[in-house]
Amino acid sequence: MFEEISVQLQRGKAKDVSALISKALEEGAHPGELMNALIAGMDVVGEKFKNNEIFVPEVLIAARAMNAGLKVLRPALQSSGVEPIGKAVICTVKDDMHDIGKNLVKMMLEGQGIECIDLGVDVDPQRVVEAVRESGATLVCLSALLTTTMMRQKDVIDALKEAGLRDKVKVMVGGAPVTQQFADEIGADCYTLDAASAAQAARALFVN
Amino acid sequence: MELTSRERIRRIFHRESVDRIGLYEHFWGNTISAYQKAGHMQQGESPEVHFGLDIIEVGAINLVTDIDYKPQVVEETETTITIRDGNGAILRRHKLHETTPEHIGYAITCADDWAKIRHRFTEIDERRINFEGYRKRKAFAREHEKFLLLSSVNVFEAIHPICGHENMLFGMADDPDWIYDMADVLSNLIVRLQTILFEREGLPDGFWYSEDMGYKGTPFMSPQMYRDLIMPGHKKTFDFAHSLDLPVVVHSCGFVEPFVPYMIEAGMDCLQAMEVKAGMDLLRIYEKYGDKIVLMGGMDVRCMLGNNQKAIDKELEEKIPIVMQGNGYILHSDHSIPSTVHYETLRYFMKKGLELGRY
Repeated sequence: MFEEISVQLQRGKAKDVSALISKALEEGAHPGELMNALIAGMDVVGEKFKNNEIFVPEVLIAARAMNAGLKVLRPALQSSGVEPIGKAVICTVKDDMHDIGKNLVKMMLEGQGIECIDLGVDVDPQRVVEAVRESGATLVCLSALLTTTMMRQKDVIDALKEAGLRDKVKVMVGGAPVTQQFADEIGADCYTLDAASAAQAARALFVN
Repeated sequence: MELTSRERIRRIFHRESVDRIGLYEHFWGNTISAYQKAGHMQQGESPEVHFGLDIIEVGAINLVTDIDYKPQVVEETETTITIRDGNGAILRRHKLHETTPEHIGYAITCADDWAKIRHRFTEIDERRINFEGYRKRKAFAREHEKFLLLSSVNVFEAIHPICGHENMLFGMADDPDWIYDMADVLSNLIVRLQTILFEREGLPDGFWYSEDMGYKGTPFMSPQMYRDLIMPGHKKTFDFAHSLDLPVVVHSCGFVEPFVPYMIEAGMDCLQAMEVKAGMDLLRIYEKYGDKIVLMGGMDVRCMLGNNQKAIDKELEEKIPIVMQGNGYILHSDHSIPSTVHYETLRYFMKKGLELGRY
């Protein structure tokens, strides 16, 4: 059953994943194990995406299947006390309206069992600070599409420093113009090339 | 002998000997105004003439769903404006900076929605064509001996404004027949509108198709999806260009290298942009495909951001002596020039590039 859930998720079969989760819950499966089956499916999707074996359309339908499964599973997770592995605040930085890359990273993070507080696009650094304070998130993910907006990632890091929160969160940066060198220069903790790598890195941050 | 811009680019497309590599460039929206404010350019002055660019583009085809719809403001703040457009799409744009808009919602999300508006793209409405704008721009290009490209989107960039990137990409996986049909209908429309335009106003010198099919490190879809769903539309429009003996330039942002062999198969004559930051490598692409297509761009715009001549020298000296071989290269940044690049820096980039690119 767990293997089948993972396989149907990889195929993007949202209805099948929902039905399998419902059936498994009825049969007494532990919600945490079902969550692990969903995560296992998204792991395969992420790895294939990273290796250019599948592309964004397949990732989108897999993420939709993941969400369909989670919708059924969430009440059971809550009632059995299974927590997300971590919380992340995610957004596209100030002056940048682009959301495709950010949304893809969010889907991948959720596929790793990470709760995402999505602030949207064109987000002021102060809103990030407030969201971190309110949610207790320990990861901040910042997207920038343009060379003209990438420096706004540094503005967020500076705002977190000023608010005394910098040592309480890890900051992950990404986006078309962003490089490891740039991430190092602005004092980010993590940079990854693609959404799947971002999710893997985020999981490693929470698990370790 | 110094060639005119028009003759130079024509010869480059035919791989005939030229005096130097070609020159073209694009600018982010506030760059030219920054140069004007600083007194480097006059208001209304043509960048193509000012910088001695070889190419001029003209846009004359409107592919919006409802051409009578006046865009409505849904919400406006100090910094952003949210508009419902003629495709029924709700997009939030920044008022103070040029960026890709936030995609808030779309009226067309699936094949059933598309079926309701499909007829708008199968019936020919000549109001989709800006005859006068084309005529004037063409006359301007001829006056200045520039190579004139009719610029428009092709099927990929025509589909997503109607249904949004996410719905389009979902459709490629869930309902490929829907996406194929959209591409088929839109490519037919493009060719029919161009046919009418050219019968009235004469031919341009070539075509420029904008198709942003990739992002950082990977294309938006698999090569097989490109081949099955998008390439037939490309082939139809490229074949039409070739029936007029005109070349086709394809612009794509992002990493599209896996598509290049198929785009060549479809009839692409020139690949433009080749964004370094997305993973495109001009020298690698030249090595693999430089004998088959003209290349335009691939110079990392980040070499100009520090306004440092040594960084520019390094970028140009590494690439131009190689890619100019075979008379098939047109100098261009790997996307557009942002306003943080000083006017003098850009001038230096072009001057140095053309010095290196002289035959």
